[in-house]
Amino acid sequence: MITTTALTKSYGNAPVVRDVSLHCEPGTITGFLGPNGAGKSTTLRMIVGLARPDHGTSTIAGRPFVELPNPTRVVGTLLDPSAMHAGRTGRATTKIAARMAGVPTGRADDVLDLVGLTHAADRRVGDYSLGMRQRLGIAQTLVAEPQVLILDEPANGLDPEGIAWMRGLLRDFADDGGTVLLSSHLLHEVQATVDHLVVISQGAVVASGPLTELLASSSLLLRTPNPQALARALSSARIDYRPGPDDTFTVDVRDGHVTAERIARLALDQRVLLTELRQSDSLGLEQLFFSLTATTTAHPQEAAA
Amino acid sequence: MTSTTTTRPVPTGNAQAPGPALPGIPFGRLLRVEWDKATNTRAARWLLGLLAASTVGLMLAPLLAPSSIDQTYTSYLSFPAAALAILLPVVAILTLTSEWSQRTALTTFTQEPRRTRVITAKVAVSLLLAGAAAVFGALITAAGLGVAAATGRELDANLTAGVLVGYLLSVLLNVLMGVALGALLHNSAAAIVLSFALPTAFALLGLALKSWADWIDPSTTLTWLLQGQWPGHMPQILVSVAVWVAIPLAAGLVRTVRCEIT
Repeated sequence: MITTTALTKSYGNAPVVRDVSLHCEPGTITGFLGPNGAGKSTTLRMIVGLARPDHGTSTIAGRPFVELPNPTRVVGTLLDPSAMHAGRTGRATTKIAARMAGVPTGRADDVLDLVGLTHAADRRVGDYSLGMRQRLGIAQTLVAEPQVLILDEPANGLDPEGIAWMRGLLRDFADDGGTVLLSSHLLHEVQATVDHLVVISQGAVVASGPLTELLASSSLLLRTPNPQALARALSSARIDYRPGPDDTFTVDVRDGHVTAERIARLALDQRVLLTELRQSDSLGLEQLFFSLTATTTAHPQEAAA
Repeated sequence: MTSTTTTRPVPTGNAQAPGPALPGIPFGRLLRVEWDKATNTRAARWLLGLLAASTVGLMLAPLLAPSSIDQTYTSYLSFPAAALAILLPVVAILTLTSEWSQRTALTTFTQEPRRTRVITAKVAVSLLLAGAAAVFGALITAAGLGVAAATGRELDANLTAGVLVGYLLSVLLNVLMGVALGALLHNSAAAIVLSFALPTAFALLGLALKSWADWIDPSTTLTWLLQGQWPGHMPQILVSVAVWVAIPLAAGLVRTVRCEIT
């Protein structure tokens, strides 16, 4: 379990992370989504004690990370797959992680097998591709059988097959009761992986909640061959509507008073023929996300965060 | 990516796994890990190989040039000491700085967030390496002396306990100076260049300011150690150890504990 409360940090006068509160439950995968430079990596580094927050706290399994006696037994961290010693073999790299955690070094071979690197275990990491380093990093995080995983952009460098593999691995980890927090700057990359989503922009959380809720459509789309009659019916029922192209109407359902069933009954009662009644395409989150990406180009000082 | 597994992963997110009540990482384990890290990279293996080869190679000098090199035990011992003085500090520097130049600090300090313990283990490993190298150098000297004796040479057996202790101390001090620079600078290239350049600079400075040189020129200190004259110069030696080891190491520890790791 990962909890942060109001994490805040600035570098000089530039605020990088503002009041970020997260809560990741066992059994779930949380996606930490935001454009490059939004403060994702800085937040993750504060959670694992590599950067100090100006304000706010964070705990893993109820304790601040730096107070965990043997942290890798509790939380596996992969912040940057390129941050590995190029002159060490994959096997030696993983064995160090096993030895440090105090688990049998044979676990190193198990996890190398798990991530599909057995064939390359005795090659130097300097000869690895980014995708292979990403897999080696995953092996390192799993070697001590932690309950929590914190991964910064784990899909970087992976091909579509690798991304699918990673998705299955993380799903199984969460299904076994593990907690996963992963960051990404691409919505479509995490959409199929995560249960919860926290969207961050310019250091602040702008949206968070279960993926299904965030992606749920906020409106119904209606179509009729008789638009005047439908407009009259909706007005008489005091339902706000927006006329669209091709004799369509959109009706907001966010307040919960308007449901598809109510519209259908209204149409039946008023004898208006409906040829379409469905949730409109859910573009909300994507649009929100694109608008965030567009605004951040004006803040180059945060690009390194 | 040439290979991908399609098998389902083994369960790893074990909710019943031991929680944060686990015991901490014993120092002995940190030592073992840092020893591995100091010796299992390609650069470290090359350096240690070169170190062994250069120690043996320099030992040939007094054997092959008996007319121009003093044929004494102390003189023989100074050749492996010189070999160790050149490359061993580099091994020690890399032990400290590779965490930053290879950015493995990002992993290391999530494995053990108590950064002082990690640095302490690295210093201890460097000293262990130095001790092992000093023993190796002494064995090569013994072998060289054996060869000289076997060829019927007369050698002055002037090796006192003071010289032997001084030799060991000089190897340790050389390594500690490298360790301290590495701990302070976090940068392999800068630390290696400075570890060669600074003693030279101070030796030149020492020519101009003789009274200062005794206290802060590390090469003066090392000469006293190697020639077994250290008991008479303890205050000067301690001051130069403070300047070259204690102060930069302490500053490096503070810097390492406080810095943000990116």
